[in-house]
Amino acid sequence: MRTLFILSTIIFWLAAGGVWLADYLRATPPEQTAPAAIAAPREYSLADVATHNHQHDCWMAIEGQVYDLTGYVPAHPAAPEIILAWCGKEASQAWQTKTRGRPHSPYAQNLLPQYRTGKLRQTP
Amino acid sequence: MNAVSSSSALRRLAAPGLVLLMTVAIVLWAWPESLPLWRSVAIVSAWAGSGLLAASLLLMVREPHLAQLLGGLENMYRWHHRSGILAYVLLLCHPLALTLDSWLESPQLAWQMLAPWAHSWPVWLGWAALLLLMFGLSVTFVLRLPYRLWRHLHFSLGLGVLLGLAHVYALLGGVTLLLVLLVAAALALGWRLIASDLGVAAHPYRVTQVSHPSGASIEIRLAPCAGSLAVSPGQFVLAAFNDGPHFHGCGEYHPFSVSAIHADHSLSLNIKAFGPCTQKLQQLETDVLVRLQGPFGIFLDSLPAAPQLWVAGGIGITPFIAELRAHPRSQPTTLLYLFRNAAEAAFLDELTALSTADPKFELLAQAGERGLPDFAAMLEKIGQLQARVVYICGPAPMVNALLPHLQQAGISDTAIHFEKFDFR
Repeated sequence: MRTLFILSTIIFWLAAGGVWLADYLRATPPEQTAPAAIAAPREYSLADVATHNHQHDCWMAIEGQVYDLTGYVPAHPAAPEIILAWCGKEASQAWQTKTRGRPHSPYAQNLLPQYRTGKLRQTP
Repeated sequence: MNAVSSSSALRRLAAPGLVLLMTVAIVLWAWPESLPLWRSVAIVSAWAGSGLLAASLLLMVREPHLAQLLGGLENMYRWHHRSGILAYVLLLCHPLALTLDSWLESPQLAWQMLAPWAHSWPVWLGWAALLLLMFGLSVTFVLRLPYRLWRHLHFSLGLGVLLGLAHVYALLGGVTLLLVLLVAAALALGWRLIASDLGVAAHPYRVTQVSHPSGASIEIRLAPCAGSLAVSPGQFVLAAFNDGPHFHGCGEYHPFSVSAIHADHSLSLNIKAFGPCTQKLQQLETDVLVRLQGPFGIFLDSLPAAPQLWVAGGIGITPFIAELRAHPRSQPTTLLYLFRNAAEAAFLDELTALSTADPKFELLAQAGERGLPDFAAMLEKIGQLQARVVYICGPAPMVNALLPHLQQAGISDTAIHFEKFDFR
């Protein structure tokens, strides 16, 4: 048991150190990421978003952007019904408060742009 | 193996059975569907670790009936340690598996998944829990601390478990299974702290006699102040001694084997000086109040209708003298009693007298100041060795050295019984 504890602890910290080192060595200069950021977005109305309203086709409008979160829904830490309730809807407030007055983590903030599919068309 | 020892073996399987049942049930309940491989691994390792931790806490509860059901306190503690360390390894896998899942996207995302500052307090709770488990286990395995300090630091593990479950609650909300685990963990910790460590469930006794069966130990007689414990030979109690007029007790619970059970419900305990607390006890005086918990242990619970070999090393004579004082031998029994020198050999005169009076009881006493004795030569003196069921009580190095000789002599593992009495 003692050996298992010592070995597993050492392996854990070596793995954590390895991930940090990989991030440090592969850090991409900001200018190389710029082209992706300025790609021209498609625009969708809330009515368009509303047609993607179930587990296997789940879009959400968050803070003026439209996200296709179908691929992420199964990986969301909380119970599926919590996130599925917002499929096809304007979900900015749920994103900002997690419906419990708490913002999402910086990690989640970094993850969200991967699922961006377009921009929300502003209605007059 | 006869029916009685089969029942004892089955009870020993109850503790690992409980660990397995809780873990498998929780993993089946939380089994992920349609998720990427490494995220699934992360979820399974987290829930399996939580199940093992909850089982580990239940196995730490010192309650005599529960201990009897689960194969004795020592068996419970063995599985408490095993399930705790397996839980720790699985919980280390949890963040690493999540990190691997993110690594498939990019190394940068992987580091953000692992770095605590990229998250908020629900994830910080998880990190705090993991670091507390790491600290608590380091204290247990790496450092050899004095018992009292070790015991206080060991509680960091209990706090780590509660923080870990709080981490899951903050992320997932009030999932029914999680609430069940939280309640079970809180009850187990509460029972251990309030009933066992603070002694609320203890029975008050009073020291009525102190004698010196050897130069290295004392034997004390304790009379119940209220209800008495139902103890049988081979069992031990946890005792905490209060202060007396000229005696200052250390107040913490230590295990002591019972050396006699008297008709008036009083008990005798044999106490050797091992550490600071038991050293103080050598100056114990009558009328001191003692709090007792127990009884625990199943060492001599299932003595079979077969010839027996008992092996006692030093203070390990205590459960055997209790059995000899309680009943005449119904089966041929040889006691191999090993000690450093005659002055330190407790009960030697009494054992010699018993062997003279009881034709079924044979005493082989062996003094040896240096190292371990020649077990091979000793075992040759014992007739019908292969037919005997063996009971060993003594220091771990003696038990470990003797076991291969018994196996070489053709005695099966199921016919060898021993307890090491290590409560860390």
